[in-house]
Amino acid sequence: MTALGENPARPARGRRLRERLGDVDRRVIFLAVGLAVALPLIFPLRLPVAVSREARAYYDALEQLKPGDEILVSFDYEPETMAELDPMSLATLRHAFRKDLRVIALTNYPGAPGIAQRILGAAAAEAHKEYGVDYVFLGYNPDYSATMLRMGESIRQTFPTDHFGTPADSLPLLRQANSYADTELLVAISSTVMAEYWIIFAGGTFKEKVISANTAIQAVLIYPYFQTGQLSGFLGGLKGAAEYEKLIGREGDGLRGMDAQSMAHLLIVCFIVLGNIGFLLGRRERGREGPGRGPAQATGA
Amino acid sequence: MKRTGPVVFGFVIGMLMLIQHFTPDPWINDRYNDVLDWKQIVFGTTLILGVVSLVTHHGRKVARRGGGWAYSLLTLAGLAAMPAAALAFGSGRGPYLWMFDHVQAPMQATMFALLAFYVASASYRAFRARTLHAALLLTAGVVVMLGRVPLGELIGLDHVSAWILDFPNLAAKRGVMIGVGLGMTATSIKIITGIERTYLGKGA
Repeated sequence: MTALGENPARPARGRRLRERLGDVDRRVIFLAVGLAVALPLIFPLRLPVAVSREARAYYDALEQLKPGDEILVSFDYEPETMAELDPMSLATLRHAFRKDLRVIALTNYPGAPGIAQRILGAAAAEAHKEYGVDYVFLGYNPDYSATMLRMGESIRQTFPTDHFGTPADSLPLLRQANSYADTELLVAISSTVMAEYWIIFAGGTFKEKVISANTAIQAVLIYPYFQTGQLSGFLGGLKGAAEYEKLIGREGDGLRGMDAQSMAHLLIVCFIVLGNIGFLLGRRERGREGPGRGPAQATGA
Repeated sequence: MKRTGPVVFGFVIGMLMLIQHFTPDPWINDRYNDVLDWKQIVFGTTLILGVVSLVTHHGRKVARRGGGWAYSLLTLAGLAAMPAAALAFGSGRGPYLWMFDHVQAPMQATMFALLAFYVASASYRAFRARTLHAALLLTAGVVVMLGRVPLGELIGLDHVSAWILDFPNLAAKRGVMIGVGLGMTATSIKIITGIERTYLGKGA
């Protein structure tokens, strides 16, 4: 029964709108996310990318080194975060080789050697660098903390052979650089807390200068170290990769992925706003109808 | 002895690792390196235990033809194929690297990529401004999410996002880190002095 002069169709229409806003089928969401990611990759918008101070500091840390300086690069991630971290790894190595820096690479994850090999190989081939002289790959060593601490004493004792079984003593680069004291910079490319361990063990104990490239979620946790100066610079997520690619003047997957990431983030925000409009309409409706009358809100994914 | 031995051992090694920070003595330094070597050996042994446990679990399932036994068989086949290829042809080239690049890497990347879809769906359904705190969290999340992409920079959200990360986020993270650090120090002292013995198992 409705009050005199009230349109009975209005509450029903309002409820339908609220239900539609608050209960979009997950398949629609999945399809929208797929399109938001795929379309900008096919039809790029070329949105401008601003460079943050963290990325600028990361770039400067490498840029300030002299040709012939040795750096350590740790590939601490596995295939699940390749999309985010591969562009940073490749851009870092391109920058390092362009400056004629010599790279000692390693990893603390058993699933990472394949990734490191692929990226090192690609960057070295582009820059015509020679294995053993301009770069080496030490591979994986069990137990990150012991590895990090032991490298402060002797890299050759920590890794008696490289990833391919070549004795470390026979590699010219390792004969010259045998501890943190012989290297100018450590680049931790990490999807986990491994960057923090490098800061604590290599940076804190052995005073090695550390910069890091992180997944977006990890970057949030790394901010305190940057503010205190324990970390000299860092890249956060694909955006960080895009900023760094812009700084080195070489477009890669970071810059190419920015449009897709912008659209995906915007879409998620739109869905959150829609969901909340539905929720607020529902709450108002329940308030009008009295307590306990409204349908329960779905909370599952 | 069963209990006292590990406690004494823990005390000696713990004190050694502590003292080596404050002395340049070569003998202490050599023992410190020995401890690091043993740490790696113990870590490597745990990997072997992991493989044995995995083989036992899935081997039993295959032998009994339990539910999903075919997946277990596939797991065991993968577990055997990767090291076999690495031992036969080396891990730097050949079938091992091919399987890593064309099987393992795409599968792991695909599983992780699916998160984007679930995150979108979950945030739509669960991110509700039910209370003032939830609304604040929601607003901060939206601002940071947009501020970290070029689209947000166009409307000036990057500065707001940077402020959130630089101040409220940093203050909270630093508080947690100091708390964790103090907790770790206290627990380490308790383990070294033998007060904390739960790592020895039941009844310790």
